[in-house]
Amino acid sequence: MSTPEHDYEDLGLVAGLEIHQQLDTATKLFCGCPTTRREPEEATRSVTRYLHPTRSELGEIDDAALEESRVDRAFEYLAFDTTCLVEEDDEPPHRIDDEALEVVQEIAALLDATSVDQGQVMRKLVVDGSNTSGFQRSMLVGTDGEIQTDDGPVGVADLLLEEESAGRVEERDDGVTYALDRLGIPLVEIGTKPDIRSPEQAQEAAAQIGMLLRSTGQVKRGLGTIRQDVNISIAEGARVELKGVQSLADIADIVRNEVGRQVELVAIRDELADRDASVGDPRDVSDTFADTDSGVIAGAAKVMAVPLYGFDGLVGREIQPDRRLGTEFSDHVKRSGAGGIFHTDELPAYGVTAEEVASLREAVDASDDDAVALVAASASVAESAIDAVAERAEVAVEGVPEETRGANDDGTSRYLRPLPGAARMYPETDVPPVDLDLGAVETPELLTERVDRYVAEYGLGEGLAEQVAFGRRMPVFETAVEQGVDPTLAAGTLESTVTKLRRDDVSVENLRDDHFLAVFEAVESDELAKEGVDPVLRALAEDPEMSVEEASEEAGVAGVDESEVRETIAEVVERNGDQVEEEGMGAFSGLMGEAMGALRGKADGELVSAVLREEIQKRA
Amino acid sequence: MNPGDRVHVERGDTEYEGILMPSTSDTEVVVKLDGGYNVGIAREHSDVEVLETDVFAVGESETNDASTVEFDDDLPTVALISTGGTIASTVDYRTGAVTAQFDAEDVLRAVPDLAGRANYRGRVVANILSENMTPDVWQDLARAVYEEVEAGADGVVVMHGTDTMQYTASALSFMLDTPVPVVFTGSQRSADRPSSDNVMNAVCAVEAAKADCAEVMVCMHATESDDRCALHRGTRVRKNHTSRRDAFETVGAEPLGTADYAGVDSEEVTVSFRRPHVERDEHEVALHDDLETDVELLKFVPGMDPQFLDVLEGKAGVVLEGTGLGHVHTDFIDRIGDLVDDGTTVVMTSQCVEGRVCDRVYDTGRDLLDAGVVEGEDLLPETALVKLMWALANEDDPETAMGRPLAGELTERSVPWT
Repeated sequence: MSTPEHDYEDLGLVAGLEIHQQLDTATKLFCGCPTTRREPEEATRSVTRYLHPTRSELGEIDDAALEESRVDRAFEYLAFDTTCLVEEDDEPPHRIDDEALEVVQEIAALLDATSVDQGQVMRKLVVDGSNTSGFQRSMLVGTDGEIQTDDGPVGVADLLLEEESAGRVEERDDGVTYALDRLGIPLVEIGTKPDIRSPEQAQEAAAQIGMLLRSTGQVKRGLGTIRQDVNISIAEGARVELKGVQSLADIADIVRNEVGRQVELVAIRDELADRDASVGDPRDVSDTFADTDSGVIAGAAKVMAVPLYGFDGLVGREIQPDRRLGTEFSDHVKRSGAGGIFHTDELPAYGVTAEEVASLREAVDASDDDAVALVAASASVAESAIDAVAERAEVAVEGVPEETRGANDDGTSRYLRPLPGAARMYPETDVPPVDLDLGAVETPELLTERVDRYVAEYGLGEGLAEQVAFGRRMPVFETAVEQGVDPTLAAGTLESTVTKLRRDDVSVENLRDDHFLAVFEAVESDELAKEGVDPVLRALAEDPEMSVEEASEEAGVAGVDESEVRETIAEVVERNGDQVEEEGMGAFSGLMGEAMGALRGKADGELVSAVLREEIQKRA
Repeated sequence: MNPGDRVHVERGDTEYEGILMPSTSDTEVVVKLDGGYNVGIAREHSDVEVLETDVFAVGESETNDASTVEFDDDLPTVALISTGGTIASTVDYRTGAVTAQFDAEDVLRAVPDLAGRANYRGRVVANILSENMTPDVWQDLARAVYEEVEAGADGVVVMHGTDTMQYTASALSFMLDTPVPVVFTGSQRSADRPSSDNVMNAVCAVEAAKADCAEVMVCMHATESDDRCALHRGTRVRKNHTSRRDAFETVGAEPLGTADYAGVDSEEVTVSFRRPHVERDEHEVALHDDLETDVELLKFVPGMDPQFLDVLEGKAGVVLEGTGLGHVHTDFIDRIGDLVDDGTTVVMTSQCVEGRVCDRVYDTGRDLLDAGVVEGEDLLPETALVKLMWALANEDDPETAMGRPLAGELTERSVPWT
């Protein structure tokens, strides 16, 4: 199924974005630990805890929290030599991190938001274990901002500064393991108003916000450091929260596919209404399949079925590329622990015969106009799973359900859970309120402005300037240029050379800022030839503990002094004496290659060229 | 305009709408926005309009829906006595701090996991933070425990703030002869957070109160995990960390026992003891609640102003927390001798916390002994203070009593690995 283009205005598309971005601060939001990510294998200790729901300050208990707490789940937390008692909830939070406050206020200024006079850190109840305390600390910093897109302005409803949750390492039947390295990294959340009216505008707005965030030079980069959620509805549909869009480039597709899904569900609803469709009571049909040859069904303890009157052909109808109404049913049974469902629109198949389908219809009083869905599993799973199918099928008669969905890699989405209720929050009394004043904040230069400056001031090409400004090594570039490094050398190395190395499968992630700065310094002080930059970076990527000097030795490009250059070139000219006498300067280019080869990148090309010219002239 | 009102606030071009909350400062109006966030808005630049009054009763806890727990003849009866503290605390919106507002009934409501483990009798002796505890509350508490035991309680659980729990536990150890367990518990993380240690501590304390060790104990997390509580002898326990769940440690020995906790939904808590202890019903219940409270604990430090000793003049008793084996500056010794001559009982303990006082090794110590100072053996300084208060009021020869064990507070053999 290809995605049809819709008239989004006509459909009444309304969308909003929620962008979460980790900040690249030296320390965490409420303790002095570094914001360094770790591997679970590096854990040095672990603690195990349970969580219990509590009353909010307005006396309410969150139903969702209560529901979760009924499940007996032990949470194991992996701790590292980079985490402390604060992450383990065994020490009160320290005062809020100054650096994070500064960055978030810069972001508020960039978003043209109004900051509140006094920020109050709140505890947002989260009992899935991802926070050791049972709540996420979060502070509303600003409201009423605005960003621009080609299709008009998009309002920013709120800007929050909060602590990142712990990363999920492993989920077991009896609990979940989390790693504490991520917990407490400062996280900025930006929620737009529902001002977005087209898929393209959604993507542009996300890109614009991403650009503003990166303009601070203090946001983390890489997979998982920015998360994008999209809220989408159409007039006849319902509000759906789409979580975890990994790539910016997917946003337009995600919106298109969700609109398509809602349009299809509305069409199914209309069709079901025409057919006067309804959902029957689930029944045990294990006997029908007692002698089945279908491996998947024969292996199950119980087979439950539900008749879907008037649904024939619609359960198998595609609502997103390669996803049917039946796939939605399957998503719902996964919460019950079942693998999925079968339905008559796709049968006979999977070893189920036409005869069995006929007797199945008979067993649940379904005619050819009806569909039947079935679940084969253990007794308890099959029973709760078939109820989930019946519930979801009844919703299909009404139209599009409000829900939280997870983005798939292919631009489609899957059902996750119902929409969350209003967040349960109460004040974090351990952290005093924070006075906020945007007047005191310097608005950083936008990345787009930076590109223009690189072109104008440093003479970089437009393309290279953009790569550097938007690239993750922009701060190194700034430092290097500030220290007097040639901007072209710095930019070319940080972008072109690094890209080349990456294509050659060099581990460029091992290259740190100080590596680059040391290499630049070596070039500027003539200890390293420009030609030596590439091999030295390769050597450093291989062994990041080496100094530039050691790496030069390792790469065989340790600097040679001028006398050695002269000696080598004299030898080259001597060796080719006949050619030089014959051709004069005509021999230059051939001998230049030979000379560079003899010096193997250890000498600067310009010096080699000058000396070679001299030597040829001497002879000619 | 009162907390709980729904308000509309205009501040320049920006508008806010939500519930007015009690503010901790005079300069900001605090509003809970519909999204749940509280924000502070400068009062002098704001225009506040009340949209609806008393939308919420802010800060009032609901006390009407009391859970009526049915009496089960097959279950033992445990008295729950509350003195306040983190285990029974909630947020105070006036100060923004956490204070104790619950009675024992509320604790039952706050910790539903206690249900089905015993029949409970709730009682509130005080509602104070443990740093505000005084010896007269120890006495009230001892009387309350005595009455509960007299009335047939099979065990007593005392909910107490952790800051001074060790003092109160010591006091009850001396004041009570008990045929049933008296178990102190509390929490290091307030009850208003999902991660509070109050649930496991309370459940383990109730189970310990049903067990056979008829001593005054402290039941708190043994590790940073929610896996088991340690049962400490009330006279040997010390809070050794400001914030960790496992802050409480038995000094000079391993804890008396443990209560293993198998999880939120598991009924199972296994209580076991590793060392000899007083058995259930070994003693008749008895109360000796007299205290001589005119006793001070003074920690000696280098460069200390001798005027501190002036304050001690005329005191009934003084516990010194000396250095090392039990020393103070030699210049202080004559003054201490004067105190003793004047009738003050002076007991030496050590700020090393671990180990035994021995004033016969160095000249300073020998001079202190000559001046009439009593060696406090391996008494914890805090326990020595409480013991001295009790001994001065109940023993004919308090000096001798300070050197022999009355309630497991003092050991005659130094075997810290047991």
